[in-house]
Amino acid sequence: MQNDKLKFKGGNEEAPCILACPIRQDARDYVQLIARGRFSEAFRLVRERNPLPSACGRICIHPCETKCRRNSTEAPIAIAWLKRFLGDNFSEETRERTTEKYPERIAIIGAGPAGLAAANDLALLGYSCTIFESNSTPGGMLRMGVPTYRLPRTAIDKDVEFIKKLGVEIKYNTTLGVDITFDSLKREGFSAIFIGVGLLESRTLNIEGVNLDGVLKGVSFLHEVNTKGNAKIGKNVLVIGGGAVAMDCARTALRLKPQKVSVACLESRKEMPTTDFEIEEAIHEGVALYNSVGPKRILGKDGKVSGLETLKVKYVFDEQKRFNPAFYEGSESVIEADTIILAIGQASNLSFLKGQEGIQVTRGGTIIVNPSTFRTTVHGVYAGGDIVLGRGTMTESMAQGKKAAIAIHNALRNTTLKDEEWSDKPAVPDLATSRIALIKKEQKQEMPAMMPLDKRLNSFDEVELGFPLDIAVREAQRCMNCGAGAFVDDNLCVGCLTCVRICPFEVPKIKKGDTTAYIDGDCQSCGLCIVECPAKAISFKTPLEDRGKDTLEAVFQEKFIQGIKPLIVNFYCQYSAYNEDKIDTLNNLLFFHVRRIGVLGLGKVDPSLYLKAFELGAHGVLVTACKDDTCHFCKEREWVERRTKFTTQLLSGLGMDTRRFKTHFISSQTGKEILGLAFKMVEELKDLPL
Amino acid sequence: MIVASSKPFQEIKQMLSGFKKICVLGCGSCVTICHTGGEKQVTELAAQLRLSAKLEGGQIEVVEDSTLRQCEWEFVEDIKEIVKDCDAVLSIACGVGVQYMAERFPKIRVFPGVNTTFMGGPIEQGIFWERCAGCGNCILATTGGLCPVSRCAKSLLNGPCGGSQNGKCEVSQETPCVWNQIYDQLDTQQLLATMETIIPPKDWTTGMENHPRKMILEHLVMKKQIS
Repeated sequence: MQNDKLKFKGGNEEAPCILACPIRQDARDYVQLIARGRFSEAFRLVRERNPLPSACGRICIHPCETKCRRNSTEAPIAIAWLKRFLGDNFSEETRERTTEKYPERIAIIGAGPAGLAAANDLALLGYSCTIFESNSTPGGMLRMGVPTYRLPRTAIDKDVEFIKKLGVEIKYNTTLGVDITFDSLKREGFSAIFIGVGLLESRTLNIEGVNLDGVLKGVSFLHEVNTKGNAKIGKNVLVIGGGAVAMDCARTALRLKPQKVSVACLESRKEMPTTDFEIEEAIHEGVALYNSVGPKRILGKDGKVSGLETLKVKYVFDEQKRFNPAFYEGSESVIEADTIILAIGQASNLSFLKGQEGIQVTRGGTIIVNPSTFRTTVHGVYAGGDIVLGRGTMTESMAQGKKAAIAIHNALRNTTLKDEEWSDKPAVPDLATSRIALIKKEQKQEMPAMMPLDKRLNSFDEVELGFPLDIAVREAQRCMNCGAGAFVDDNLCVGCLTCVRICPFEVPKIKKGDTTAYIDGDCQSCGLCIVECPAKAISFKTPLEDRGKDTLEAVFQEKFIQGIKPLIVNFYCQYSAYNEDKIDTLNNLLFFHVRRIGVLGLGKVDPSLYLKAFELGAHGVLVTACKDDTCHFCKEREWVERRTKFTTQLLSGLGMDTRRFKTHFISSQTGKEILGLAFKMVEELKDLPL
Repeated sequence: MIVASSKPFQEIKQMLSGFKKICVLGCGSCVTICHTGGEKQVTELAAQLRLSAKLEGGQIEVVEDSTLRQCEWEFVEDIKEIVKDCDAVLSIACGVGVQYMAERFPKIRVFPGVNTTFMGGPIEQGIFWERCAGCGNCILATTGGLCPVSRCAKSLLNGPCGGSQNGKCEVSQETPCVWNQIYDQLDTQQLLATMETIIPPKDWTTGMENHPRKMILEHLVMKKQIS
């Protein structure tokens, strides 16, 4: 699958998680690969679209999870945490670059998410890129703004290393407008310049007292702590703002050991523009939260901050849903503080545009670009990321960088290359209400071993420790594979209704007036209908699902396999394969005699495949299915039992000893139970004439 | 639809004994729907044949294919290239399909892989019952839409007989007495009086007594006959 885009067939409804992502990350498919234990491929798939997977897996606000259809059964898949799991544990060293090499060199200003994404994609298209970064390290706001307890710098470095391996050069301590200019870059021979400098300043409040000693700006405060490890604050810190940066400021301040840290914001708890998780963690760590209060003036004593006078908020957004806060008159009260950190948004620093009046900017200080070409008003100069968006997330900035890369390529080559992933596609609709009851509830895996509070506040070490392998697989196995399940080939369907009658989730239908069955986006991918369809008219849309066939054939490619006696092929359900710490429990004897074929749900394995195993050279076939409570699907046991009976009949018809085909239902595919069963089968078959 | 059941594998094996290249040929109509002659069964039977040969230390080549309907010359023609190199064809279509194959490819041995059993349907998933005997002279109008010819063990035209017990047939406790069902149906339709009308002896010459039967649709017959 290396570097290949997965080829899907049948239907064009896309999974909501993929559509929700600004860079259209293949969330469903990397989750499905994790569920199958195919981790390196999963990482490769992530990396195909995402230049910063390790960082993204930690700080992305994951709109994919907001749209996840598991929200309607219990809770969304922890898609971001799974990406982090891949980024932390796997790497991709073999990604091949295009053979195409273009002579043009591209200058990229800023090594933040937009700049890095643009450089990554331009390098993959065949261009030489140089990033000019004013700091001495890469990452932009990821490094300057995001606290290390949320994003360790090693994660950024790992991501950036890959980008460098593509040939991207990064020149640090080089500031546009100081060390280099647009003219000097053009003189050096750069054919295009991409500005991705981000928003480097904090917005300030226009109220009395903002100039008092003890009023800090959020971005500067975070920058200082992130670079020096410390900043000067008092004993009673108040952060003004309700977004992610405000939470970062508050939690960072806590780690500098003041007596109290509070957050005051205009928004109610529900309106706060950050993830629930961040707010909960801040509160858990000891931050006091003042919701629905607006700053009236900062109070001072002897030139120093002493508190904030607030007004109660009537509403934040007006009837047109515009940000237009209104306050109750006479509702003043005071929150005491000796340090106030303003985290009410970021602003641009456009000093680098001095002498470049041709580049038009908005009143808000963002650069104006054509939204489809990313061109500024000066020829050859492009811009993207926060400096264009005004306010964006990490993934939105990466998306801008990626889109700008294609736009720059199209401009330089005079072509119309298009990334089809961004084209409009219909989303798989919400689960039908009647279906929800038929789908097993599966508890979302919690981030394990969160660092205890007393340890957290004594350091800037990462709070979330990451999924271990077994938890990651369990979590990934909750995925419903939306939009990638079964579909019916109208040319083959004979309208026999078998799928309609046997689906445990009641998905297939023959619509009124139609003569063939139709399987909609609620398909859970159990594959029962695929096996039972007498016309072989149903198959999976996803190429990730081979129902054991390719794996079986691969097993028999092994050299000297035909010399092993007895050789046992074990078909097992992967849903119960990762519920113990020990994954590889087959001892040496079994390692020699047993070959294992994992399938995500044995209901999708055709009985003829068991015969195929014998035909290829197996002496025994051992089917180990899940006990009901350990499988993701419903009715698996019932169908595996039916097919066991059916297969046994087929084999008996051939006069085969029935000891050569056995099915067991076990709760773990990695424990003593499977070991015992396999051992017993090896022993039994030793005595049979093979 | 026509319902067929799979032949025992041993019988198939005996028929095909000695042949080295066999085509297992399914049919995409009735036998697909009754799960005995579709593409899925082609795969299963082919796997059985190969495995059986292997178990006996031999080797055979099995080609797998299926037609939309084996009872149409044009569709049968489509597989000409596939069967031409085969020593034998195992057709798992109904008897009609097997004969079309045998007629079209007279030099190739064609064998039946299924027993064509009756005309009926799935009364529930996986359970098929006979519903029509093809008597050529339908009397369903007088029996509440339930056929005593195909569903009564004695094909009685005026039932039930004394062997009807608690709604079941004396021949098998699994079989509902169709005359009991006819009675209930007519009762529901307030047509019980119909039961008193004696159905006269039937002209059986329109049915199995008169092979081979033939139907001609004059308005559709082309000058040049197909085949």
